[in-house]
Amino acid sequence: MPARLTASELRTCLGDGDRTFAGLLAGTSGIGPLRHGVPAALNVAHGYHVDDGADRAFAASRWVAECAARAVAAGALDPRRRRVVALVGTGLRELAAVEAYATGGDAFGAHRLHFGDAVHTAVPGLREVVTVSNACSAGGHVLALAEDLLMLGDADAVLVCGVDATTESMLAMIGRVVDRPTETVRPFDADRQGVLLGDGAAALVLVPDDDDTRPALARIVATGLSCDAHHETAPSVAGITRAMRDALARAGREPAEVDLVVAHGTGTALNDPAECEALRQVLVSGGADPLVTAVKGATGHTSGAAALVNLDVARRCLAEGRVPPVVGLRRPLPEGTGLRFPTEATAHPARLVQSDAFGFGGVNAVTLVEAP
Amino acid sequence: MTSPLIAPDPTRPASTAAPVTVRVAGWSLHLPEADGLAADLAAWSGTSASRLSATLADAVPADRAHQVLGRKGLLFKEPATRLALCAVHRALGLPPGRHPPDGVDPRSAVVVAGNLGNVATVADLARTVHAEGGRAVSPLAAPNASSNVVASTVALWFGLGAANLMVCSGATAGLDAVRAAMLLLRAGRADRVLVVGTEPADEVATELHQAGRPAFPLRAGAACLVLTTTARSDTGPVLGPSGGRSAYRRIGPGGFDPAAHWGDCYGAAGVVNLALAATLLDAGAPGPVAVACGDDTDGVRELLLDATPGAGR
Repeated sequence: MPARLTASELRTCLGDGDRTFAGLLAGTSGIGPLRHGVPAALNVAHGYHVDDGADRAFAASRWVAECAARAVAAGALDPRRRRVVALVGTGLRELAAVEAYATGGDAFGAHRLHFGDAVHTAVPGLREVVTVSNACSAGGHVLALAEDLLMLGDADAVLVCGVDATTESMLAMIGRVVDRPTETVRPFDADRQGVLLGDGAAALVLVPDDDDTRPALARIVATGLSCDAHHETAPSVAGITRAMRDALARAGREPAEVDLVVAHGTGTALNDPAECEALRQVLVSGGADPLVTAVKGATGHTSGAAALVNLDVARRCLAEGRVPPVVGLRRPLPEGTGLRFPTEATAHPARLVQSDAFGFGGVNAVTLVEAP
Repeated sequence: MTSPLIAPDPTRPASTAAPVTVRVAGWSLHLPEADGLAADLAAWSGTSASRLSATLADAVPADRAHQVLGRKGLLFKEPATRLALCAVHRALGLPPGRHPPDGVDPRSAVVVAGNLGNVATVADLARTVHAEGGRAVSPLAAPNASSNVVASTVALWFGLGAANLMVCSGATAGLDAVRAAMLLLRAGRADRVLVVGTEPADEVATELHQAGRPAFPLRAGAACLVLTTTARSDTGPVLGPSGGRSAYRRIGPGGFDPAAHWGDCYGAAGVVNLALAATLLDAGAPGPVAVACGDDTDGVRELLLDATPGAGR
């Protein structure tokens, strides 16, 4: 059952949602020198950082709280008058604080690992704040739960959040699997080098589809979920296609109706070929010929926020009739044959957009979104 | 009545979706060194000590998980993951040793609750990077840098292909996970959901837990619930919302609190308390039993569990 998106606020390395989409259309990359950890030790020289001029301690809590407050204001939502639950998706929680503590910093209360305090303080009156740690598709998973809460009448509105701040342990893993530091993220490029992390936060407000008292930015048609149960880090085409088909089935839509994909597109040897193959099996084989764009070449991999960043880009594509290019893409990978990747801002009056998010452990979330 | 995440609003029309009632079709407790807990619970509830002791017996610590799971596949698995796998293995009634799945079941989901499972690994990785550089880090530790490793490992180990969630919301995580699982069932995203609560009690986890000034010390342990709908199972107690009905007994803060008698399983506590309630009902104790978890910082969650057929409707 669909839901209505009444607010959507971002914070990426390119800025807020307006600036992020403008930057994407212009083909801008937010990459910069790594600001968290020691590049030589980590074999990672670059990152896509949010610089808000403040200390990095508990930055994720600060960013998600700021986005949550903006979203609630933009959506004209008063949690003291309606039953509003907040769900926060994250990959890395406040594990950066654990690292700081482990390397000489102070211990902190375990409750600061999650985002209950930060979001409750930013948005007074919320009934509950629940943190779901679902790797790089966490935002898509909390979006699915939000749709279910509204469909079943358990909440009047849901504040759906996603956030991640770079951790050294994850940087070490990224640097460990490449020979030379990755220079930039190049989604779906034959010469891709690997992924880089992006700081990011997002918050959106979802209300029931029958709530017609307020203007909507977009209609969330359905989110499909699956778990590969296949490998700890490598994705499975079978698992990803199940999530895509689950979204279509829950939406009652045909593959041929999908005319734009905002892909997960991490620029890694494991994700990109698998995602292309899944798109071919589900959409192209079903009669679709979508444009396939991706944002991580411009924003880095924002992990827990990534699904909601994609969703915000999707709703702006629907509203503006324009699709941003895949920043960093020069020569499409062979597995992408048959898929159309825009390499410049492209006029495209999309009607039904598929937004992808996949995570470590094979956790897949695929959302279908259309104009309100 | 269905089982809402929060209390229904009488001013709002009820959902048009068919009501789904959720049943606890199976469960296990895997709490190492909890013999005293069985005796205390028996004395408090007037229930047979032998029944409770049998359920709580044979919980090996994480470093002896191979006695339950077999040796293969446990390398680089953290204590919280090992305890979770043991709890699921026991809830499914499997004999000792690894039992690789035949395939992936696309209608079985996993929801895990826990907050501290990978903090020791993350701390260790950070110390290694600072002391020796990133090349000294093993790529085999990579999955453990992501907090959802427990949930995805359970799915991989047992072939569970529906939704997979890792709930990390602190002291409320256990019942937040149970309610998320109920949501997955009610929304038709799964026919069966395994809910697991698991926490370790290593040095890093214990220090962070202590820094939050809890009333009771952290304990390592796990529990598992097998949730399904009453349409698919006719055995096991029924889960429902806590509003509007009075409970015969209460397990958790404000009632018999295992944290006070044994130790605080923190993010796993809600699942542990619910499995204890199921054990009590199974041993003949009257219901419904109110099950709670939480603390002053994160708030309190509560659900009702009742052995009576049709309870919670």
